[in-house]
Amino acid sequence: MDAVSTHGLTKRFGSRIVVDDLALTIPAGSVCGFVGPNGAGKTTTIRMLLGLVRPSAGTGTVLGGDLADPPSYLGRVGALIEAPAFYPPLSGRDNLRALARLGQISSAVIDPALERVGLLGRAGDRYGAYSLGMKQRLGIAAALLAGPELLILDEPSNGLDPAGIVEMRGLIRSLAGDGMTVFVSSHLIAEIEQICDHVVVIRSGRLVHQGPVATLRASRRADVAVRPEHASDTGPLLGVLEHAGLPARLDVDTIVVEAGAAAVNRLAMEHGIVLVHLAEQRRSLEDAFFDLTGAHAGDGHELAEVG
Amino acid sequence: MVWAAFRSEWTKLRRPSLLVSTIAGLAAAASLFVVLLFAQAHARGGSPSLATLARPNGLVQGVDRVAVLLGIVAFGIAAAQIAGEYGLGTLRQLLVLQSRRLVLLAGKLLGIVSFLVLALVVAAVAAMVVALVAAHARHVPTAAWFTSTGIGDLVRELGDLTLAVVGFSVLGFAVGLFLRSSVSAVIVGFAWLLPIEAVIIRIVPGTLGWLPGSALQIVAEGGTAGFGYGKAIAVATAYAAVAVVATAVAFTRRDVTA
Repeated sequence: MDAVSTHGLTKRFGSRIVVDDLALTIPAGSVCGFVGPNGAGKTTTIRMLLGLVRPSAGTGTVLGGDLADPPSYLGRVGALIEAPAFYPPLSGRDNLRALARLGQISSAVIDPALERVGLLGRAGDRYGAYSLGMKQRLGIAAALLAGPELLILDEPSNGLDPAGIVEMRGLIRSLAGDGMTVFVSSHLIAEIEQICDHVVVIRSGRLVHQGPVATLRASRRADVAVRPEHASDTGPLLGVLEHAGLPARLDVDTIVVEAGAAAVNRLAMEHGIVLVHLAEQRRSLEDAFFDLTGAHAGDGHELAEVG
Repeated sequence: MVWAAFRSEWTKLRRPSLLVSTIAGLAAAASLFVVLLFAQAHARGGSPSLATLARPNGLVQGVDRVAVLLGIVAFGIAAAQIAGEYGLGTLRQLLVLQSRRLVLLAGKLLGIVSFLVLALVVAAVAAMVVALVAAHARHVPTAAWFTSTGIGDLVRELGDLTLAVVGFSVLGFAVGLFLRSSVSAVIVGFAWLLPIEAVIIRIVPGTLGWLPGSALQIVAEGGTAGFGYGKAIAVATAYAAVAVVATAVAFTRRDVTA
């Protein structure tokens, strides 16, 4: 059974299409990463799932409830949307109390939620005095109040320092261990690779890939790095590889080829070139992401901040 | 469910910094007005005279005159509270926990209005205590204030004032929700209620009582010779009803992107 399933999900703001015909599937019990460049439509998609933004077209279900009727499923969903948002003058505990009262949730769950995110000791402090990491953790505590079956986290590591990111990653992993479905958007591919077992990739509001992380990684070709024994053979070997139709490029004194190691070795031997280095370079999920989205590092700022 | 939203709103509103400052501010404004009223009252003639203040309705003279000030403060606080939900981004958090938007809206509106009415009542009590002290200082007899006529006038005046504050609160809530910015809402509201309405009424005197601020002021005064109480109540109710309906329609239909 799928925790989330959408068909033709579309959102237009005026003439601009932000999410375009999205068919999203999040398997129940999975930790699903949601990746795409800035402005790809991730946050708008999440807002549609949470009933904050009305879809222009499309249908779907969330935990079996109709996407057009958010009250039918939102009681079983917890969410941290973009930056955590609370009342600065209230303490962390009072902020959660206000939310618990609104959701008609017993106040007995507040302290366990704070303890879960490691904030119990600072629960009485003003939210305005919290560090960014503490604010993010309070956001997750708020998302946990209702004991959700589906936890939606939108960029939970945004603005955190490296130690905070590692801490957040551990927290998400432990939450996933409880059996809830976790849908986490991020632009940090390494983060998705480390905590998710399923991934959805979108670009310009359109789905470009979804499936298990392992499948995505395996689908990418490996590169082979080779270095001839004699530096004078580098140019001829490059010519041989290109003549054989294998894309190759020179990286300092090493040739990087998009081909299998055996094929490269065979070609070199046939032309009397001895290799001193032949190594397969497994491509990372990040490479796969860039291949799929056509994006490159730094592309994000060129896209409108609507996602 | 509206009760849950109401209680949630009060969890936010009851914080000492807001509750105490609102009550203290209103009480100080009302008390200052009362002090000035008694200080400026003349022994013979003038408006009001010391003899006027000694009448059964003398206790409510000051409160009556500070009605617009209290209303404008109520407008500003209501506007800032709802617009702040957009500015802070807390609205999205609230709507995930209570996705029935009308329920959330009703709970928040009732919470804010009840908060302001409570602040008004406390401020009015403070102003009355100040009036007793000021009367003693100016040797104004206060026995008539506590007759059945005096207490009746007091209850009626407080009722009218409460209705006016509710009206100002509802209008402030609507403006805050539409503009989604505390600062803009307060500036627009104050600009309309103070100079703009005054200019319009000066240019077209026939609009007195038909504009929202002046209608609510007349309600607070219990009606005037030129514009009856019933008519003022009807005009103010119409403005409040339009504000509530427009707010409900906008809130339920508008995407939450903040």
